[in-house]
Amino acid sequence: MFWERNIETLEKDQLQVLQSERLARTLNQAVQAPFYKKIFEEYQVDPKKIKRSSEIKNLPFTTKQDLRDNVPYGLLTIDQKEVIRLHCSSGTTGNPIVVFHTRHDIDSWSNLMARSLFAAGVRDTDVFQNICGYGLFTGGLGFQYGCETLGCLSIPAGAGNTARQIKLMQDYGTTAIHAIPSYLNRLHEFIVAKGMDARKDLKLKKMMIGAEPYTEEQRVRIQEMFGIKAYNSYGLTEMNGPGVAFECECQSGLHIWEDAYIVEIIDPKTLEPVPDGEIGELVMTTLDRHAVPILRFRTRDLTRIIPGKCDCGRTHKRIDRITGRTDDMFIVKGCNVFPMQVEAVLLQIPEVANNYMIKLETINDNSEMIIEVEVLSNWFRGDIARLDGLKKQIEHGIRNEVLVKPIIRMVEAGSLPVSEGKAVRVQDLRNLN
Amino acid sequence: MAYQVSIFLENKIGHLRKITTLLAENQINIRTMNLTHTSNDWGVLNLIVDFPDKAHQVLNSQNFSVALREVIALEMDDHPGGLDNLLGKVEAAGVNFTNAYSRILKAGGEAFLILDSADTEQAREKLKKLGLAPLDDETVYGK
Ligand SMILES: [Zn+2]
Repeated sequence: MFWERNIETLEKDQLQVLQSERLARTLNQAVQAPFYKKIFEEYQVDPKKIKRSSEIKNLPFTTKQDLRDNVPYGLLTIDQKEVIRLHCSSGTTGNPIVVFHTRHDIDSWSNLMARSLFAAGVRDTDVFQNICGYGLFTGGLGFQYGCETLGCLSIPAGAGNTARQIKLMQDYGTTAIHAIPSYLNRLHEFIVAKGMDARKDLKLKKMMIGAEPYTEEQRVRIQEMFGIKAYNSYGLTEMNGPGVAFECECQSGLHIWEDAYIVEIIDPKTLEPVPDGEIGELVMTTLDRHAVPILRFRTRDLTRIIPGKCDCGRTHKRIDRITGRTDDMFIVKGCNVFPMQVEAVLLQIPEVANNYMIKLETINDNSEMIIEVEVLSNWFRGDIARLDGLKKQIEHGIRNEVLVKPIIRMVEAGSLPVSEGKAVRVQDLRNLN
Repeated sequence: MAYQVSIFLENKIGHLRKITTLLAENQINIRTMNLTHTSNDWGVLNLIVDFPDKAHQVLNSQNFSVALREVIALEMDDHPGGLDNLLGKVEAAGVNFTNAYSRILKAGGEAFLILDSADTEQAREKLKKLGLAPLDDETVYGK
């Protein structure tokens, strides 16, 4: 079952032909923007000479900073009268970046979003409650337009007000929802507190999750709480928003829509491509956007291409759940380590769960990764053997995952700072000079 | 059945004292103690006190990682060969233990040995077959 069978199952070589055509068109468009005009001159890029999608490597990267420096109109390629909407990213530092959309851009995005939802099993018979902020944030309107294009009964519930969310679900028989994972935890707590059973008292059949970092273990926990499947969604404002990549019903990676984007995975240090299967930074080029085409955008999100074909029959590449951000990555003993990889190991060990801290220290002139774990009364039985066993289990698990042997430090209960679920628990205390 | 109070402890100045102070303030008498430190920066403090339940509750309320752990207390004589004689019997019973420490009750008279075994139940059965009964709780706790 496909939304657009011919596109979604296009053979690799044909997909490349389509990408090459669209890339040529995109480059012609991009040169109309003051920013790219300047870049092309600076790097002596002749857009007409780039004939194939694989030649994209000859183009320079576009960074978040480039977008920030060229706010508001530096990347706009057309007359403002063609533009029908803008979205901004939440800028925590400096100018928030802006992306303008023409009617074509909105239609193209809505279609990608509908295709994504369809791949995850959403149908026009579903009642879809979008539990997420509307406005400048793309998660609201992105899902909204996708649902409408698909033909669902959409409920633009917005974020928060848990009591009202549940009332809407009950009154209109909501079958599918979209929310951030941490909100689903809160929603479930509320349902339990009201003496309800999420599995019996609601008609939910599936959930779409994304827009914040989480681990596979968290996804599994959410699925167990509600007794239904949760599908990973990936998107970013610079590339429209949601609908960039989405999990199909196989739940084995997110199909990234290659008719709309060229996807590269690079080593964030060397900027060279990494082989399929290896983790690196996701780099994307828009292929179907008129107002603000963006070339080789460094997303700073870390993921990998999942090798092989998906059982669903879609030929578009699959990326893995985002493993972290390049900003969070640290290097210890010559290995690139992403905190989420370490977190994933620790979360699987019930004694550790959320009670840990990753510290980087210089010990005898060596860079060491230290994992501090709180010894808690609820599992401490007074025997050293168990503590030693736990220490070995953590050492082994982390070494297998990131190839660095950590130092495990058991600490007294209450020694670690109380952290908010989302905070990255890494302290770099090394003297790196 | 005697219980030892086991507390997880970081090997840092003042950490042990925090525990003894807390117990002193709560009028809990420490009968004997033993501190096992691994090669790491932490270890486990084992205490025999007069009121183990109360000690457990007091320490727990102050956020210490504490556990009540069943141990075997065996009577022995406080004279040359007393420990050797007892260990001979323990060996004959085929009992393995992971930790041991003792207390003298009366100089030149009685003492007792605390044995911490991974399987206390089984150890107690084995000792019983050789006629070695654990010391009564009143004697261990000093009540
Ligand atoms: Zn698939």
